[in-house]
Amino acid sequence: MISKDCVAMILAGGQGSRLGALTKNVAKPAVPFGGKYRIIDFPLSNCVHSGIDTVGVLTQYQPLELNTYIGNGTPWDLDRNNGGVYVLPPYQSANAGEWYKGTANAIYQNIGFLEGFSPENVLILSGDHIYKMHYGEMLDAHKKSDAAITIAVMPVPWEEASRFGIMNVNADGEIIEFEEKPKEPKSNLASMGIYIFKYEILKKYLNEDEHDPESSNDFGKNIIPKMLENGEKMMSYTFEGYWKDVGTVQSLWEANMDLIDTPPKFELYDKHWMIYSRNMALSPHYVGKGAKIIDSTVTEGCSISGTIEHSVIFSSVTVGEGSIVKDSVIFPDAVIGKNVKIEKAVIGQGAVIADGAEVGTVEVSDNKYASPMCTHGIVLIEGTAEVAAGETIPKGSMVEAKGK
Amino acid sequence: MRDTMGIIIPVTEKIPPITDIRSIAALPIAGRYRIIDFVLSNMANAGIVNVGVATSSQYSSLMDHIKSGKPWDLDRKKQGLNILPPDLERTNGTIKGDIDLLNGIRNYISRSHQTYVIMSLGAGVYNMDFTKVMDAHRENQADITIVYKDMSGVEESELSRFMLIDVDGENRVTDIEVKPFYPKTANAGLGIFVMEKALLESIIDECSARGDHDFVKDAIAKKLGGMRIFGYKYDGYADIVDSMKAYYRNNMLFLEESMRKEIFNPKSPIYTKTKDQTPAKYGENAEVTNCFVSDGCVIEGKVENCILSRGVRIDKNAVVKNSIIMQGSVIEEGVELDHVVFDKEVHITKGRKLIGQECYPLAIAKGTII
Repeated sequence: MISKDCVAMILAGGQGSRLGALTKNVAKPAVPFGGKYRIIDFPLSNCVHSGIDTVGVLTQYQPLELNTYIGNGTPWDLDRNNGGVYVLPPYQSANAGEWYKGTANAIYQNIGFLEGFSPENVLILSGDHIYKMHYGEMLDAHKKSDAAITIAVMPVPWEEASRFGIMNVNADGEIIEFEEKPKEPKSNLASMGIYIFKYEILKKYLNEDEHDPESSNDFGKNIIPKMLENGEKMMSYTFEGYWKDVGTVQSLWEANMDLIDTPPKFELYDKHWMIYSRNMALSPHYVGKGAKIIDSTVTEGCSISGTIEHSVIFSSVTVGEGSIVKDSVIFPDAVIGKNVKIEKAVIGQGAVIADGAEVGTVEVSDNKYASPMCTHGIVLIEGTAEVAAGETIPKGSMVEAKGK
Repeated sequence: MRDTMGIIIPVTEKIPPITDIRSIAALPIAGRYRIIDFVLSNMANAGIVNVGVATSSQYSSLMDHIKSGKPWDLDRKKQGLNILPPDLERTNGTIKGDIDLLNGIRNYISRSHQTYVIMSLGAGVYNMDFTKVMDAHRENQADITIVYKDMSGVEESELSRFMLIDVDGENRVTDIEVKPFYPKTANAGLGIFVMEKALLESIIDECSARGDHDFVKDAIAKKLGGMRIFGYKYDGYADIVDSMKAYYRNNMLFLEESMRKEIFNPKSPIYTKTKDQTPAKYGENAEVTNCFVSDGCVIEGKVENCILSRGVRIDKNAVVKNSIIMQGSVIEEGVELDHVVFDKEVHITKGRKLIGQECYPLAIAKGTII
């Protein structure tokens, strides 16, 4: 076996509970994004463009859809003879077997997988961020500095710094302190949850961590502080560009809106850094005689007869005559009837909004659908849920599908 | 349908300038497809696992499109999709008709172990269930089955594009005329034939030995009495693209809901080579109505009654009507277009005006910059 310079491990097991009904049946990395993608397309495409051809995807929560989606990795050119993409669920072994207890434990349980490729370095990624990043450049910096670990950081606005894990670095970019959500941040460099470890060092720390009964087996909480304590050489790698954690309904909605602003905050149309996704055999979309579409993206398979303003429309969505969809994200196969009004909403896959219904148009004080997940007045309609003809769903609602 | 092999043969007609660089089978249609996708998908959906695509010339575009056959799930360890370039050795250097093409792929045909052959032109637009054609063929105990469509009401000059067949009450073929000037019937053959593989082999050998070149005229039309030749009447939409007029019409028909519903039936999908394109993007001034739009388009202008392939850019204040615009074309600010057919990567600079007519759309060759 040829040994690998770098193997990537994508942590894709989280539930993403703050996404509410969107992750009831699928893991967060499988949530649709940007008209035709799913969140996992971003780290996978980044890997292949960065020359990393061996990727483990660690799944745990609701893995079926994610597994099916990844398949043999062909869409990302990750069907390789030596390497490629591997879905790694927790497994039972002769004398043990348990769920992934934390991010570090998930990697620990897959040391066997890593051993098979005897990598020099291991790149740890999370499966719930939207960004385009050249990991190869980070790897070069990591090798040049001969660090035990290199952590990607990005400058965030000072007022938001207390929401992140903040890295305090010296003039050479060496990490001297790590603070999780500090009240008074000393720096505005936030950890992006992207780590490159020297494999031998990673293995050593994972082993030690596993045998520490006090540990919660988490990279941010345990491994990184431990390495700092031991005086390992830890470097930061500053990333400047678009990066978004889409862990909440609001941030997911926002990240979609970022694609359609003029000029877009995040541009997917980039020949040299295509985001790959599993393509379906769908016809072009049809725009009807009375339709009006502005400031929006529309994907193949749709049939649009109404008005679309500043929205992201996924594949095979139907929008009937007289309907107005504004500032919204409509997931695949949703059916919007006639004379429907939708504002600032995320409509789940295959949801049905019947004729004359209004979604997100009014604000009421005693909203029976009100949900703490739906902040900033955003409405979330779960996949396959139905909104009846003429029904009004107020701002800030979460409507779940029946019978689940 | 593992007992049936598929053979796709090219049409000889040319549609300049859009076939200057490719065969009709490889022509873009309905935005993101190529014409061969229809017959190829129908074969795949019928469960045919061995398909040979015979080519005569300019097949690099076609090969690039179908490659290993993966979109049709025809990239198999055994059989699957086979692109068959012409074998000029076997045909003494010339290809005068489909018999020569078939003779060129005679080895492939005899190596295949299926009992039946369904042979079709790579220029048809339809979504047909081939299993029903096969069932009718067996039920009739036919030697050859010819798929046709009753095109009553279609004008004579259009009918003259087809091979026309007369059938009796049992659908047995009584007369065949290929592209007659004065059509006597409206039963238009769709270039789809079913027969046993052994019969096809003997037809190829016999015709080659006699110096015949044409499958229909030489092998079938002359032998109507001696063989059980049946028609299979197809009632769905079907046409053959062999002229600019037919090409334009068969694209524009996709603006009709009934056509989209029938051809893009989710129960028998039409597959095509997929590309990683972003969704289509509409700008703040976009005015798009009655259009079929593929992924990757960026539209700022006014577009009406158009078929847009992938990655077409239409800038603001441009007005495009009744047109077919192929992949990657760029239409700059203030341009006016009506009834045009643009091949790939045509670039129209600011303020230009190009107007064609419905009966004669203005066609512009690939890569032209105006």
